[in-house]
Amino acid sequence: MSANILEITTLTKHFGGLTAVSALDLHIEKGEILALIGPNGAGKSTVFNLVAGVYPPSEGTIRFKDAVINGRKPWDLCKLGLARTFQIVKPFASKTVLYNVMVGAFLHTNSTAKAREKAEEVMAVLGLEHLRDRLAGSLTIADRKRLEIGKALATNPELLLLDEVMAGLRPTEVDDMIAVIRGLRDRGVTVFVIEHIMRAVMALSDRVAVIHFGQKIAEGTPEAVTRDENVIKAYLGGDYDAA
Amino acid sequence: MSRKQLDATLMTVAALVAFGLPLVVTSPTYLQILILLFFYAYLTTSWNLVGGFAGVLPLGHSVFVGIGAYTSTILTLQYGVSPWIGMLVGGVLAALVGVVIGLPTFRMRGAYFCLCTIAFAEGIRVMVENIDSLGPLKVNGPRGLLIPLKDPSFWHYQFMSKLPYYYIILVMLLIVLTLTWFISRSKIGYYLAAGGEEPEAAAALGVNVANCKLLSMALSCFFTALAGTFYAQLMLYFYPKGLMGLDLSFEIAFIALIGGRGTIAGPVIGALVLRPLNEFTRIYLSDMLPGLHLVIFGLILILVMLYKPQGLTAPLSAVYDKLARKITREPNAKGVAA
Repeated sequence: MSANILEITTLTKHFGGLTAVSALDLHIEKGEILALIGPNGAGKSTVFNLVAGVYPPSEGTIRFKDAVINGRKPWDLCKLGLARTFQIVKPFASKTVLYNVMVGAFLHTNSTAKAREKAEEVMAVLGLEHLRDRLAGSLTIADRKRLEIGKALATNPELLLLDEVMAGLRPTEVDDMIAVIRGLRDRGVTVFVIEHIMRAVMALSDRVAVIHFGQKIAEGTPEAVTRDENVIKAYLGGDYDAA
Repeated sequence: MSRKQLDATLMTVAALVAFGLPLVVTSPTYLQILILLFFYAYLTTSWNLVGGFAGVLPLGHSVFVGIGAYTSTILTLQYGVSPWIGMLVGGVLAALVGVVIGLPTFRMRGAYFCLCTIAFAEGIRVMVENIDSLGPLKVNGPRGLLIPLKDPSFWHYQFMSKLPYYYIILVMLLIVLTLTWFISRSKIGYYLAAGGEEPEAAAALGVNVANCKLLSMALSCFFTALAGTFYAQLMLYFYPKGLMGLDLSFEIAFIALIGGRGTIAGPVIGALVLRPLNEFTRIYLSDMLPGLHLVIFGLILILVMLYKPQGLTAPLSAVYDKLARKITREPNAKGVAA
């Protein structure tokens, strides 16, 4: 078994005439935090959706724990140990926080008591206990993002895909979230994040991959990537270079 | 007294009242009204398994009542099978039909499922009205089926008085309520609620949303069909328009929406409010303006949706919660007063 928990080779996705992701190669080692960044519309969320099984890739292979998972359905992937959060959070709004987390916790048990136990444990890790009986629809955006992670974490994932969990948070909340994600890695979860807030990317990631128009334009340590000319061009526009 | 004890005591009292009611209510007319009240509460509770918990809106459940009634009655009339066995056959058949409707439609979002159930129910009703016999099975078209009187016995599902019918439907209601209670507290209940509210988020947490909905649909259709057999044996006569029409489908949905979709008590509370209203407006107002009771139904639905969109159960249970907290916090005061 290789050290890579996730291996993406020549991944391509067409939507009609639009190529959202084009021949992307990417890997994540076990226990690593990898950040995927890129300008708006670069295809980051499409990569996540392909890995999480929302739609099948047009070409290429996705290997999770050495098995090809192309075209597997989201609920099967979740059972294999791959969980995700959504960029636009999707809480079960009319239910309590406990109920939300329990839905995730039911993955590995049929017993309501055991699922509740597991959910309480996850809520303690994420500092959600005090919101236990609040309705998910009444939470602040920071707490919703945290709940989103809680639901995914309750499924006991080996690889967790976090889609912009910092977006819309205040700076202090971003710091809290960085601590939470570091805590996840310390618990042995491999983390794959999409993030726009560079401060968080710099603080969190072991490696950063940058995509632009569906293609990878840089990969490396956070420091190296932010100095990369192609990356600066992609964010600021090529014209600046010519001028 | 703890909260659990209080709940259990009240449930026992409610059950005792339900079982003891025929001691007070002896008039067959009123007994019939009560039977129909439980019948509708039962139907709506069965509907609620899919319409409430799975978050979809089936509007053609009368077709499953029809499947139940026709299956058991044809088996009795032509093959001499006891309606009790026919009832189970009809239930299984209805569950299969429900799965066939659900298979293509549960995978789509939006109103497809709802529209499909209406179209299917109406289509089958029109077909039944125009078919005299289906192969060896005598359906009798729009004239419906008449069940001839036999020696009253449990096996024949025919009785001299209304009383046995009352207890049969009461027990059926309690069974399906218990099942609902059990489901709402188990994994499948959590998965149904999650899949109904945010299907993508549920799928990402390992929930096969379409399969969960199919299971709840099968259960719902099975229990709905049992009510069809009950209705056939109670009335001993039924015809397609009265039994399988959209009126019945809509009334079930009305009761659920007013009582509270996706709650355990909702269908019972909805039936308690709407059934007497239906009976009395029909008795006293139908001379004035036929169909007036439906107008009143609509008005009540509009008012409930405007002011209590979750249905009547949510505010009622909030009131009960408050009362219960008072009682359980001051057991002595309550003890002295009692």
